[in-house]
Amino acid sequence: MPNLRLALPFSLTTFSVSLVAVLAVTYIGLIAVVMSYAALTVEFSQSVKNDEAAVAVLEGKYLNGVAHLQALDYRAAGYTAPLAKIFVPATSMTALR
Amino acid sequence: MRTQFRFRIRLVLAFVVFVALVIFVRLYFVQVVHGDDYAQKADRQFASGGSGLFDRGAIYFTNKDGTLVSAATLATGFLVAINPQTLADPETAYTLIAEIASTTISHEAFLAAAAKKNLVYVEVAHRVSDAKGQELAARAIPGVQVLRERWRYYPGASLASQAIGIVSYGSGDALIGQTGLEAVYDGTLARSGDSLYKNFFAELFSNVGNLLVNAKDACEGDIVTTIEPQVQARLEHDLAKLSEQYSSKESGGIIMDPATGAILAFASYPSYDGNNRQNVGPALLGSPLVEDVHEFGSIMKPMTMTSGLDAGVITPDTTYNDTGCITVSTRKICNWDRKARGVIPMKEVILQSLNVGASWVATELGQDKFRSYFTTLFGTKTDIDLPSEGRALLGNLSTTQQVNFDNMSFGQGIAVTPVQMVRALGTLANGGVMVQPHLVSAIRLDSGIVRELDWSKTVPVFGATAAHETTQMMTEMVDEKLAGGKAKIPSMSVAAKTGTAQLTDGHGGYYQDRFFHSFVGFFPSYNPRFIILLYTNDPQHVTYASDTLGATFLDLVHFLIDYYQVPPDRGFATTTPA
Repeated sequence: MPNLRLALPFSLTTFSVSLVAVLAVTYIGLIAVVMSYAALTVEFSQSVKNDEAAVAVLEGKYLNGVAHLQALDYRAAGYTAPLAKIFVPATSMTALR
Repeated sequence: MRTQFRFRIRLVLAFVVFVALVIFVRLYFVQVVHGDDYAQKADRQFASGGSGLFDRGAIYFTNKDGTLVSAATLATGFLVAINPQTLADPETAYTLIAEIASTTISHEAFLAAAAKKNLVYVEVAHRVSDAKGQELAARAIPGVQVLRERWRYYPGASLASQAIGIVSYGSGDALIGQTGLEAVYDGTLARSGDSLYKNFFAELFSNVGNLLVNAKDACEGDIVTTIEPQVQARLEHDLAKLSEQYSSKESGGIIMDPATGAILAFASYPSYDGNNRQNVGPALLGSPLVEDVHEFGSIMKPMTMTSGLDAGVITPDTTYNDTGCITVSTRKICNWDRKARGVIPMKEVILQSLNVGASWVATELGQDKFRSYFTTLFGTKTDIDLPSEGRALLGNLSTTQQVNFDNMSFGQGIAVTPVQMVRALGTLANGGVMVQPHLVSAIRLDSGIVRELDWSKTVPVFGATAAHETTQMMTEMVDEKLAGGKAKIPSMSVAAKTGTAQLTDGHGGYYQDRFFHSFVGFFPSYNPRFIILLYTNDPQHVTYASDTLGATFLDLVHFLIDYYQVPPDRGFATTTPA
């Protein structure tokens, strides 16, 4: 009966141990990537929300300014209505060439 | 060789045992010796579990140059909670919290909460600002947690608050849109909140399709309104001034682009501040402009006139004999001053707001045609993008008594919502075609796609000629009658009509001394960019709408001309010399 044992150029045990080591390192690496990804996502999201909130505060000031401006009685502030308004007919762009 | 191998094995074993021991000792110190410290430190982490943080899409105003300004967005800050089981000194804790967080609960309530030792979490202050929250967290008070919080924030406060709406807790434990655009577009604005915390690899194996194409990104987003903040602020200011001046029960106004139905301003007074609703009654939270119906009075006359012109039963040159009062089915109908005008042309019905003339047109028109026109104008809801839209009270259209039709011809005995009224009157400004009023122009999806909403549905009601002829009459009214002719703008044609209706007394009759004032106008008359509808309900010590609303209308017209730089449409030569 012929010897069927496979002749490999390297030790099967060494190969298996190496494979396990590589898989373990890969697994740990993937966990690290997932954790980092989640942490960064949360951090960036919170950062965006904080910036949006800061913008909202500025928008609040802007809209408050708009309301104040519309409620302003310019006569009480010392201004007067223009005596006359003169409208100038718009010149077409082609006429400028 | 074999001895050397055993030595190596033992060395590795010893190393593994050593590492295990180190880990074991470290865990002992972490979990047992310093366990409480770490637990408290974890409690004080600023970023709480993300799924608990409120999230929602934004609502935007649109400036005239197309830039967007938030009407509703999110604010971030902190909430303060206590753990009664670990709170050692409630008095000191309360003093320190109250110093920083003005929104904390009362002293008695705080002590009562701290005494409940079976609880581990009681919230004692909300909406603490970023700076103050971090200051409180830095003090590291035992048993006090400072956690991240988000809430709905309306940068404009009361600006367009009834149109924007509110979010609050409904029957469940989630914040949802309850009124206004917040309610109508809740499906777009609401966020499920779990997208941040999904495990990429778990998703890869279990839900790869969702990872590549997120279905939520295709339906969640922000909404862009047509409301222009400057115009809205001006309208609100004018309405508040008007209501205070005449002690009105309420006032309202709509400014719309008559060609597209895009609403630029949508306001009623009184209103409320969306950020501070503690003392706001439920009646204020709705939108009177779409929910309430009113008898608008004489601003209905242009509708009657255009119906008669469109049906061909009258022309602008048709005359009738105005006797001042007529009796129809034993009921007397009179002009506002009860005076007879004799034989006069149709335009005088609009210029002098004559009830007898409007009744005459309705009689000439006939009940069937009158019913057909008014059913087209008011028989359906506008389908504006606001909730709880009211339906017009058109019972008199179903009767056969001519007096009912005569009353409706000048706006009594027919009750419609303000938004229905502006839609109907918009037909005159839009060549006889009725458009769909709306507040939202587009949805900005989270996927990055901007979806423009389709509001192009139109209903032809009148022919363009009939609408044009009525517009001419309304323009003459402004040039010759409004403010005694002083309201005329030499460089801009403006068409308008006033309306003064008696208020119903609730017993089938009308008050003689209580009125509902309305005013409608559009400009430039023959190519309108804006239509303005105003009303004020039960103003005191004043009878006619021209007195209450005329000045407000003209202020808005001049403001819009200046703000939008509307080019003049008359008053100077249109050709320049060579």
